[in-house]
Amino acid sequence: MRSLRAMSRRAMLRDSAVGFGHLALCGMLSRAAAEERAADARALRFLAAKQPHFPPRARRVIFLFMKGGPSHVDTFEFKPRLQRDDGKPLPFDKPRVQFAPTNNLLRSPWKFRQYGESGSWVSELFPHVAKHVDDLCMLHGVHGTNAAHGGALLKLHTGSDNFVRPSMGAWVSYGLGTENENLPAFVTICPTLAHGGVKNWGSAFLPAWCQGTPLGVASQPASSATVKYATNQRFPLRLQRLQLDLLREVNEQHLQDTGPNAILESRIALFELAFRMQSEIPQIQDISGESAVVRRQYGLDEKITADFGLQCLLARRFAERGVRFIQITHSDSKVQWDQHGDLKQGHEKNALEVDKPIAGLLADLKTRGLLEDTLVLWGGEFGRTPTAQGSNGRDHNPNGFTMWMAGAGVKPGFHFGATDEYGFFARDNKMHIHDVHATLLHLLGIDHEELTYRYAGRDFRLTDVAGTVAHEILS
Amino acid sequence: MNLRLVKIAGLIVLSIAPIPVGAQTSDGNRDASLRFFENRIRPQLAENCYECHGAERQESGLRLDTYAGILEGGDTGQAVVPGEPDDSLLLVALSYENEELEMPPDGRLSDRVIMDMRQWIEMGAPHPDQGRPVAEVPPPEQQEERQWSFLPPQAGSLPAVRQTDWPQAPLDHHVLSRLERREVVPAPTAGRRTVLRRVTFDLIGLPPAPSEVQAFVTATAPDAYARHVDRLLASPRYGERWGRYWLDVARYADSNGLDENLAYGNAWRYRDYVIGAWNADKPFDRFVTEQLAGDLLPPATESERREHLVATGFLALGPKVLAEVDAKKMEMDIIDEQVDTLGRALLGLTVGCARCHDHKFDPLTNADYYGLAGIFKSTRTMENFIKLARWHENSIATAAQQQRQSLHHEAVESTKAAIKELMAAAQEATQQQGGGASTKSSSPPSAAAAKKSLKQLREKLAELEKHAPQMPTAMGVQEGKVTDLKIHIRGSHLRLGATVPRRFPTFLAGANQEALGPAQSGRLRLAGWLTDPSHPLTGRVIVNRIWRWHFGRGLVGTPDNFGKLGELPTHPQLLDWLAVRFVKDGWSIKSLHRMILSSATYQLSSQVEAPAARIDPENRLLGRATVRRLEAEAIRDALLSVSGQLDLEMGGSLLHVDNRQFLFDHTSKDGTTYDSRRRSIYLPVIRNHLFDVFQLFDYADASVTNGNRTTSTVAPQALFMLNGDLVRSAMKALANRAVREGGVASRDQIRFLYMATLARQPRPEEIQQAQLFVEKFRAAAASGSSAPGLETGWEALCQVLLASNEFIHIR
Repeated sequence: MRSLRAMSRRAMLRDSAVGFGHLALCGMLSRAAAEERAADARALRFLAAKQPHFPPRARRVIFLFMKGGPSHVDTFEFKPRLQRDDGKPLPFDKPRVQFAPTNNLLRSPWKFRQYGESGSWVSELFPHVAKHVDDLCMLHGVHGTNAAHGGALLKLHTGSDNFVRPSMGAWVSYGLGTENENLPAFVTICPTLAHGGVKNWGSAFLPAWCQGTPLGVASQPASSATVKYATNQRFPLRLQRLQLDLLREVNEQHLQDTGPNAILESRIALFELAFRMQSEIPQIQDISGESAVVRRQYGLDEKITADFGLQCLLARRFAERGVRFIQITHSDSKVQWDQHGDLKQGHEKNALEVDKPIAGLLADLKTRGLLEDTLVLWGGEFGRTPTAQGSNGRDHNPNGFTMWMAGAGVKPGFHFGATDEYGFFARDNKMHIHDVHATLLHLLGIDHEELTYRYAGRDFRLTDVAGTVAHEILS
Repeated sequence: MNLRLVKIAGLIVLSIAPIPVGAQTSDGNRDASLRFFENRIRPQLAENCYECHGAERQESGLRLDTYAGILEGGDTGQAVVPGEPDDSLLLVALSYENEELEMPPDGRLSDRVIMDMRQWIEMGAPHPDQGRPVAEVPPPEQQEERQWSFLPPQAGSLPAVRQTDWPQAPLDHHVLSRLERREVVPAPTAGRRTVLRRVTFDLIGLPPAPSEVQAFVTATAPDAYARHVDRLLASPRYGERWGRYWLDVARYADSNGLDENLAYGNAWRYRDYVIGAWNADKPFDRFVTEQLAGDLLPPATESERREHLVATGFLALGPKVLAEVDAKKMEMDIIDEQVDTLGRALLGLTVGCARCHDHKFDPLTNADYYGLAGIFKSTRTMENFIKLARWHENSIATAAQQQRQSLHHEAVESTKAAIKELMAAAQEATQQQGGGASTKSSSPPSAAAAKKSLKQLREKLAELEKHAPQMPTAMGVQEGKVTDLKIHIRGSHLRLGATVPRRFPTFLAGANQEALGPAQSGRLRLAGWLTDPSHPLTGRVIVNRIWRWHFGRGLVGTPDNFGKLGELPTHPQLLDWLAVRFVKDGWSIKSLHRMILSSATYQLSSQVEAPAARIDPENRLLGRATVRRLEAEAIRDALLSVSGQLDLEMGGSLLHVDNRQFLFDHTSKDGTTYDSRRRSIYLPVIRNHLFDVFQLFDYADASVTNGNRTTSTVAPQALFMLNGDLVRSAMKALANRAVREGGVASRDQIRFLYMATLARQPRPEEIQQAQLFVEKFRAAAASGSSAPGLETGWEALCQVLLASNEFIHIR
């Protein structure tokens, strides 16, 4: 039945080395094993790290996503006029479309003071992060286009609120590949399934390997979150190895029947990669080796900070192992940062949960020298209105809000952009979400206009037809 | 002061343009002002504007490289009003004052340039062509060669071939003639087992049973293959397989996805309709018509009426931004989704691209888009646009159900009336007793009786309301208020241009279309136009889809795009021949299957000889079969099937939440369960959080039309095969089956396993290999802590077979 046909290099090696029927032995020959690994690597070369367009400042990104929309005027953008004019009407027009009607101005219930050499104003909500203001690059003029959570999350994560587009992490994976072939290029820890769900870390039309690999979802504690199917309930690794050896033999035999086939060959290699992932991921999640000091630093020793603290610590551990894009999400099971009412209680609880862990992450990254080539991005899908919703809440505000960056390539202790005197609209040095994306890609060495993918007859970009790099913030 | 523009037969004749008041007219000054234009203005226009508003392209109808164009302006209005900078849209756009109109799009020009522009307009917009009569011929329709797919298909004659005994079906002539021309020798015919496994997975998405393999391999009748094909096509499993392909095109899902993920609790009715339609071989023209305009078709029977209403779910199933704050935008986004789906699914054109501007590559204008969009604007898809918006559902109650409901309604009303009456009587009695001062003790005995019967009535009412009959509804559309749409400039509902009458794209349907009229939205006429036998796209697009699903690659490699940026067909005459034949055969999909499956081309082996691999590495010439991985659903169904776990019950919903309820709210708790053993097509399709096994194996996104799923090869797939619960239960059940059904001897059990999973007998060395493995594995397991059962090694072996390339690929 078997006709003479072109043989893959791998199949040839098999036949010439030991011949059919004794393939198990083959794996033991060290030279053959090396060849095997090399062949596997070739079969999976699409994963390999890629050259950026120009020398990058950042090698990876850690995105601290605050689901629900933290209020900028209560955290990182101090508005004295708002404090003064509490209860007065907003002296200019509100936006044409609003998520919900709001009343007059509502002062921030928190005191602000200046920190660090930069003298940056931070509210009492973030006393720990405040100590790192000289490392932060505040973007006060950020604005988006969508006033609802779903649209705003999709806009922030994918650049589009009404079309299905790849997420920014997927674009980064596509552009740069992975630095660790045993791990995905993009992981997202405890992501929210609401408001766009998987689309916020999906690859849309980009190749599937670009998509984010989730560890758990927002409804579970970080301590129980892991990559799906990464562990075997039935057989220990030692026994699985035997299965993998047989599987390789069976697949090699099949490959002889079909003739050379790139997809079949990469699938053979993928089982080896998956096998390595099975040991690598639990190692990253095993934090038993972390010192008591580090644990305290991230707030792992206190109930209120333990969960987000673990997310922050895992982010650092993934960063150390060469993952390109790591997103962690603060999204409690109540209303997250979405304080349409009870601003005081809600924001206080949220800030308490994240403040110390974030400060711990910044300090730890700095100590380890990782902050030099890691870009940290903090923010929510929008900010909140300076005007009151009900008596003690704030509505969604995509018209102007604060995000901050820290680390690789951005000016430390720097403030860029501002909203108006009350904090409603971005006014100076405005940065649309597209501009944030363009700047983020730039820091990674990617020209956002050049990183394109052809789909359905046209070239797509993360920034669509927009996006300007904020050169002013680059260090 | 305005210029009179006279358009005669496409010729713009510009009459003498008077010089605006205030502008300098003396020659010296005119020279200076023209120099100003040439030095400061024209270079800026050329650099920043001509690319999109010049001789080649006139986006939004605006052309800035001629004086006529500058004055006439575009869709938005006059670009320059000489002497009036504040009324000149050019300056509005350049100044970036209005978010809806910012030009150039990639950044505001410097203040200096903008000041120059202002000054130039204040000067009266001096231009060398000013004050001169200009007769200008507008850019003629570029006489490019017309896109192949817009010309009617021609059946042509069968091409001649040298190897005349090779073709088994007419289409083989087309394939072989191309092969012969390139001197590629087609692969031999595949072995019977290979063909059987291929065609069985292909038509029903399941592996052949060992008994079927045995029967087919030993069959001697010459028509054994044809009869097997007929059996498969007649199986209800066929509709579950091929209906699923159509659901990809229809971007079917059981939830809204996008921003607010509400349950589409009645979407399953459309899914079941599709399965039924494919099983019944509903003519494709009819299938299309029902989906676009089922509500407008005269039904022959009551059940047909319901079926027609369910079919229009096609238009209603799209993802919607339900919390969009801007109601007008929401409505236009929903219409856009419908137009876009219609375009990709049926025309193979990215019609949605023309929402904001003329299509950049295909001759589809902005006006064409709004002509189509008007049809959907005139269709009712939504109940309201208030966040969270409510989509419309049609009642599909039967006469009996309706009667039950009206009886129930009557019962409720009469009970309510009785209560009211009793209350009124009681009140009257109380008043008669004097000023409402009655106390319990002073109530007459009749009051106590009244109270008792009131209590009874209230209980009865509560009971009635609790058991209100549920009236079935289906997502779908009905006619709305018939309206023509205005062009939305740059896609924005805030800047409207001229009204476009509802109509079909002129480059396909011509400029002189009969008006759709004020009585109907135009959906029925739209369906009629699409399914006209002479339509160049509808037939070709579906025939190509069917080919794609059989072979893994379409004759046109981009099944959802037949436009200029789509791929050219590898076999244009074959595609045309099939399309013409298909329409002639009454748009019968099953006939088309038979035509394809009976061909020699379909039954080729996947073996590749060196010359063929060199000349045609990607098998574009179809000289061999392509090795293909099974789709997500087929992988799951095959795992369940070979392990004897598959539940073949058809139809209905497996969704765990009620219609319009949140699938996901902010808690991110996933309540959807996929532990059913029903066929994959019946599992809930949750946008934004697809069943992870499906997602792993390249299931369609379920938000946009996708007739061409990709096949990725990623590590998590291997993790799933190693550790997935579905695989674990399958390997266990399969091992049990082997012991139960395979026989006593281990080699017979191994034979059974190979037949069940790979539809072939193991080679002797494979039997030996498997036996050795089972022993070795058990011994190794025994050295662990717990004593392994006898089955451990068998389960491990089963898992290897299920994870093997051979199991999840067909060749």
